[in-house]
Amino acid sequence: MLEVRNLSVAYGGLRALTDVSLSVKEGQFVTVVGPNGAGKSTLFKTISGVVPPAAGEITFMGQNLFGLTAARRAHLGIAHVPEGRQVFKTLTVRENLEMGAYPKAGRAAWHHTLDRIQTLFPILAERATQMAGTLSGGEQQMVAIGRGLACAPKLLMLDEPSMGLAPAVADTIFERVSQIHREDGVTILLVEQRVAEALELSDHGYVLETGRMVLDGPYETLLRDDRVRK
Amino acid sequence: MDLEVLIENVLNALAAGITIGCIYGLMCIGLGLIFGIMRIVNFAQGELLMLGMFASLYLVTGGGILAFLGPYAGPFIGALLAGPIVFAGGALLHKFLIARVSGLRTSGSLDEGHFGQLVMTLGISLILQNGGLILFGSTPMTVRTPLASSAIEIGPVYGDATIFLNKARLIACGVAIVTAAGLYVLLEYTRMGKALRAAADNPTAATYMGIDVDRAYRIAFGLGSGITAIAGGLMATYLSFGPFIGLDYVIIMYSGVVLGGMGSILGAFWGGLTVGFVQQCSSLILPPQLQNAAIFVVFLMIMLLRPQGLFGRSAERA
Repeated sequence: MLEVRNLSVAYGGLRALTDVSLSVKEGQFVTVVGPNGAGKSTLFKTISGVVPPAAGEITFMGQNLFGLTAARRAHLGIAHVPEGRQVFKTLTVRENLEMGAYPKAGRAAWHHTLDRIQTLFPILAERATQMAGTLSGGEQQMVAIGRGLACAPKLLMLDEPSMGLAPAVADTIFERVSQIHREDGVTILLVEQRVAEALELSDHGYVLETGRMVLDGPYETLLRDDRVRK
Repeated sequence: MDLEVLIENVLNALAAGITIGCIYGLMCIGLGLIFGIMRIVNFAQGELLMLGMFASLYLVTGGGILAFLGPYAGPFIGALLAGPIVFAGGALLHKFLIARVSGLRTSGSLDEGHFGQLVMTLGISLILQNGGLILFGSTPMTVRTPLASSAIEIGPVYGDATIFLNKARLIACGVAIVTAAGLYVLLEYTRMGKALRAAADNPTAATYMGIDVDRAYRIAFGLGSGITAIAGGLMATYLSFGPFIGLDYVIIMYSGVVLGGMGSILGAFWGGLTVGFVQQCSSLILPPQLQNAAIFVVFLMIMLLRPQGLFGRSAERA
């Protein structure tokens, strides 16, 4: 479904990613782990198109993404739940979700997906008319994930959804993500620093370190590796 | 007798304050969209007002294509049509110039592009003023309508005290309220309006939603330009104007927007209304030259008591 081949990205003169390859097959749950500054968010931003690549290729369902503007890519069914949530603070919770449903596929499925989102995160129904900026961190993360789901995505990319959350809240978020994968059959690409939880959920994991993929494999293999345990 | 005169003066100042205030409110909404919501510093907003006045003038007077509408309906329809004309101009201005110092290109940078915007829009303002001087000349103009010299009389309400409502201002006020309400509905309830607000709120996240942020900003800037231009067209029916009139109003617009609270369209309207109201009421006790000073005394007092503006809302969690 998503193929990243030999991707390199540079900010100014600095290399953020070097020769990174990654593959996500339909229905898979793939996780990228790695320490701070490894380039995980850069990888996501390049897939979404807000950061330009230096070299390499990214295809989504056979289509080359580099020919498309960032906004067009969302219409293909790629939902990006960004690091730090990035909800629309001055819009209500409901309006945030509506904006998620901006692409055609999302609009067509709106009533169904809204139901689903509010089943997964009942608090969002309660807070529907409240401004998203007034919510707690965990609730904002739920808005961000709900907003991602609202476009009826084929691929849901989650960038550190547990960041800055209390452990109990983070556990809920992980549980919901896993539920979205199992019950809705959405393909998931997750970036996390909470390595153990993240890998436990996934079919396949990648380890990114200082801009390079140093390791990849299924969950069991990765957990046995020393570099991951650290 | 003296009391009657006083009551008449006060009532008329209040009536003028409300009618003119509504037109100022519309004018401020235009800037409220550009400065309050999109956070683009636009010093050329006064010149957009001026362009609205001249667009309306050339549409309805002399050989203008709306001349057939006559002096009653013509000036007001002309004012409304000045909107789309200046919308197009504003959208082009944004596409070729403003976009380079705003939106995604400057989001997250140290000054959010404000320095660039300040210098650029100040330059645009000077070019439009002096270009206007070349094109339109310096003779003060007005869009003539017989309605400007006739009034509806209410009363006498107390003794001989009567309220006179200038018909041109009254209609202009009505058009302003309807236009403002229309824009409010567009921004609050339509998919496009919500997308514009989302793009202004967080351009990067809006991109992730599939919103073409450059286009959204272009439309929003055009709308802000067109709305102020409609207010300009309405004002042209009751005051005389020249290419430099923007200077008088750009500061009024900024104070209206800040007074109402940044980021709120309704707030911008109420802010403009307050400014117009204060300006007219100050004429009761102050000579006309001091009207603008009165605006700022009230402005500073309100800012002292309520720094977030009358309708300002802080969306951040405390």
